[in-house]
Amino acid sequence: MKKILTPLIAVIATGLLIFLPFYTGAYFLHVVMTILIYMTLSLSWDMMLRTGQLSFGVAGFFGVGAYVSIVSFSNFGINPIFSIFLAGGFIALIALALGFVVLKLRGIYFAITTLALTTVFSVIIRNTPRLTGGASGKVIPNVIFQGDSSKIYWLILALALSTILISEIFSRTRVHFAINSIRTDEVVAKSTGINIFKYLIIIFIITAAIQGVTGAVYSQQYGFVSPETTFSLDFLLLPMAMALVGGIYSTWGPVIGAIVLGFASEYLKLIMPYGHLIIYGIIIILIILFLPKGIFGSLKSKIQSSK
Amino acid sequence: MLNFLNFRLNKTFLIFLVFLVVIAIWKPIPLIYGLQRGGLYSLIGLPLALILGIVGILNLAHGDFLTLGLYIGYIFFTQLGLDPLISVFPLFILMFLLAIGIYQISIKYVLKAGELNQLLLTFGISMVIIELIKIIWTTRPRNIYTPYASSSITIANFSIGIYEFIYPIVAIGVLVFLQLFLKKTLLGQATRAVGQNPKGAEIVGIDTNKVYLIVFAIAFGIIGIAAGIMLPRTSIFPLSGNAYTLKAFALAAMAGLGNLNGILIGGITLGVVEAVVQSIPGYSGWSDLVFFGVLIIVILIRAYRGSES
Repeated sequence: MKKILTPLIAVIATGLLIFLPFYTGAYFLHVVMTILIYMTLSLSWDMMLRTGQLSFGVAGFFGVGAYVSIVSFSNFGINPIFSIFLAGGFIALIALALGFVVLKLRGIYFAITTLALTTVFSVIIRNTPRLTGGASGKVIPNVIFQGDSSKIYWLILALALSTILISEIFSRTRVHFAINSIRTDEVVAKSTGINIFKYLIIIFIITAAIQGVTGAVYSQQYGFVSPETTFSLDFLLLPMAMALVGGIYSTWGPVIGAIVLGFASEYLKLIMPYGHLIIYGIIIILIILFLPKGIFGSLKSKIQSSK
Repeated sequence: MLNFLNFRLNKTFLIFLVFLVVIAIWKPIPLIYGLQRGGLYSLIGLPLALILGIVGILNLAHGDFLTLGLYIGYIFFTQLGLDPLISVFPLFILMFLLAIGIYQISIKYVLKAGELNQLLLTFGISMVIIELIKIIWTTRPRNIYTPYASSSITIANFSIGIYEFIYPIVAIGVLVFLQLFLKKTLLGQATRAVGQNPKGAEIVGIDTNKVYLIVFAIAFGIIGIAAGIMLPRTSIFPLSGNAYTLKAFALAAMAGLGNLNGILIGGITLGVVEAVVQSIPGYSGWSDLVFFGVLIIVILIRAYRGSES
């Protein structure tokens, strides 16, 4: 029963999402796009977390991706769609080079180094004004698809769905077992002959590339980049909060979290234009203290224990 | 007399002195700026290193508590007319009590929960503080004026603020106080024991929970002092202290956990290097990279050394 049900729900949901632009207004579509962007970041952060490595580099890769796309489009006249792929490839290369260095680190040292990298990226961009526009940022004359919101929506949807797919592939193949064993006990994982480093670097590159592509798509959607907004810690904090609320170490946790918090934040923005982020902070604190498994994780363990 | 500071003439200290002399000959003005700024970095780095070294928690809200202290000091000044340098005392007490509250309602529960939960919890706290400040005081930058803070001397066309010399002086004072506390008092010795081996300390009958609470309270008190001292020369806005969190951690990582003297040496070194980079025309924007460059390099060296053994 469950085996047929889950794919069926997935197909119906995907179908509904694809045809969404024909039924809803511009505002709702915009909200969904924002949620999908954050969902992608949240999921990619969680994929890295499943290896036991807490990455604070999300905002950094997102920001560099955004810049690569905008700069390659406006300075070198590269097709916007191609510039998005270029951003992904560029970030993958950066992640490959950095991975050899930073993936030797564990725990808080990895977390802090990735957080520092975000600052390093933004300092470099701020100080190369000829290429990046420096502190004032860069605006492109026209956004992707001439601003056709349906097409932009499909692009973002495709990105989000591919990320879900990649995450599911990860959790169904042997990569999953390797990752889990690294997280739970690295020494045991090593002694069973798993090439830890190979898996770590693969996942680091893939998740970083996803974050870079998301940044590229986001910047093309708005046609604007600046050090302040593009490297904003919001692109790190909100995805983290979403994954935590939904439940970490799973595909559906971040997805559920993004939907719940995404709509909640839209509502909060309406009733509380300033300082709605405080609710996010409180949610993170409360979840850590009282619901460490998140919504999806708690539901899952409840179902399992009732069986 | 300085024996209790452990400032023995070891290799690191000698290299540090040579470094200072070289900079003094090459670029004397940036050296002075660097000493002042480095003193501030050390002062802010000390409490973070104390918590990290003894409780083992990296408090990502460190700089935001500093910001909070700045705003409270600002209120003392504007509402009560309290001089920032006198407000250091109520700030110490207020932050001390705040630490006890925060420890009791949140930190206590994640002590054994693993690094991820600790980092995320303090991240959440940081977010709440920043947003609270934005709601109460808006993002408008504020400044206070005290006549003594803007006095300066002029050496060869460079004017150097005199007030800023207070940073290294207070940093050294706090360091001396901390070392005396850790070495001469019974509670301090218990604290060191917990820092070295929490389980062992518990077995011999030390109440680790109480020690952690006190470490938190003292560290926050020092943040309060730093806030009061910074007040006359700092622009106060919601992210004022934020930049110091990573810098303080960079210092703690550089010095090695538990090495409080190293924070002073490291802080001044980085302050001086930063000032020197800033003094090179056309490249001043790159000075922000000094800290993070050093942070990443030091962490990597430590990690590789660790993996070899």
